[in-house]
Amino acid sequence: MSRSRLFALGLVILLSALALFGRRGEEPGEFRRARVLMGTVVEVTLLDGGANVDAEAAMAAAFSAMAEVEARMSAHRDDSETARLNAAAGPLEVSAATADLLALGLRVAAASGGAFDLTLGRLKTLWGFAGDAPRVPDDMAITAALQGIGPESLRLEGRRVTKREAVLHVDLGAIAKGYAVDRAIAALQAAGIRHASVNAGGDLRLLGDYGGRPWRIGIQHPRNPEAVLATLELADAAVVTSGDYERFFEIDGVRYHHILDPHDGRPADACQSVTVVAASAAEADALATAAFVLGPEAGRRLVEAWGGLALVVAADGTVSLSEALKERVRWP
Amino acid sequence: MKALWARTTGLDRLIVAVLLLGILASFFLLGARPQGERVLVERGGRLLFSAPLAENRVVDLEGPLGITRLEIRDGQVRILASPCPTKACIGMGAIACAGEMLACVPNELLVRIEGAGKGAAHDLLSR
Repeated sequence: MSRSRLFALGLVILLSALALFGRRGEEPGEFRRARVLMGTVVEVTLLDGGANVDAEAAMAAAFSAMAEVEARMSAHRDDSETARLNAAAGPLEVSAATADLLALGLRVAAASGGAFDLTLGRLKTLWGFAGDAPRVPDDMAITAALQGIGPESLRLEGRRVTKREAVLHVDLGAIAKGYAVDRAIAALQAAGIRHASVNAGGDLRLLGDYGGRPWRIGIQHPRNPEAVLATLELADAAVVTSGDYERFFEIDGVRYHHILDPHDGRPADACQSVTVVAASAAEADALATAAFVLGPEAGRRLVEAWGGLALVVAADGTVSLSEALKERVRWP
Repeated sequence: MKALWARTTGLDRLIVAVLLLGILASFFLLGARPQGERVLVERGGRLLFSAPLAENRVVDLEGPLGITRLEIRDGQVRILASPCPTKACIGMGAIACAGEMLACVPNELLVRIEGAGKGAAHDLLSR
């Protein structure tokens, strides 16, 4: 074969290799598993863990950590700590994990002036969003369900919890899912994983980056289920969105959704959705609910004072976001 | 370059042109929105059912609430019937791309498409 032919063939082979490897380099190898846990779909994604990492074992440890949180904190299990707390008339000793989560919840409750509340159990049961037949309760029933709630409704001394009133029902629904995501991430880290994500029905946390670039996190458009509102480029962060489109019912054209304002016991109406970026998913979870109730301005201030970032869609569809988030957001 | 052109024969140029066209085509093919290849249905981490996305069929899958009916048709998969109370899984519509999922949470069934790549411009969705 002549030198020119060799040169041409070499060139072609080089270009082919660049084309193939260049494209493959865009997506690192992914190992994904999904389970139904905590009333939602939980998906764990591991990126190239290296030869020394047992990815199957890491995955199992992550799901196991979340299942443990569910068993401990679900209000729907008779043997959970939440159920025991709801039944208790006096002080109750809880696990260190539950005490930590209650402490975080009470801090967010105080910082938000009661916009976030851990004791909305009776109110949520009254509206019935978790069941088959949600309904609009009457004013008297709502007033009764709000009796005794508030940032001071639970007293926590070490691992000992005391309810201000025996009838109070604790509901950790607005924080436990985020906490479970955090526990799954901790389990992955303990197993030697450095790049991964845990996504519990849209409440997610990222470990490391995505193969040398930030993770691209689509934010659900609150009024178009088929569309993404924006994409955030993030690494080593938690992202949680609270929206009025997640669970709702309509009567006579009025939308009643599941994010209730503890001040009047009715669906908060200042926002369509709030996305919070924070260090932990538990914080992001609680702050997203609190900010949704507070409204765009006060909500964003709360999140930023906590060290987080917020993207808020107001009730009229206006979008606002934290200054530091602007360099990480991409619009469609 | 001129010298190189002069030193190549017509056959050389044809081979190079064909191979370059092949590379160009591979860019378009690999860069296109990737279609999924297999439908997988899992329950509690166990694989219940797996089938090619290209073969039309209807399959009944059992969960704790009863039978969920799944349809694979024209490269898409959707839930046709479900014993769950809210039927949110039916409302999720059809999926066709690798990485996309359908779920019936009450009946504990997860449907996902496994394939070579992802269809969306984002890695994860927060909602």
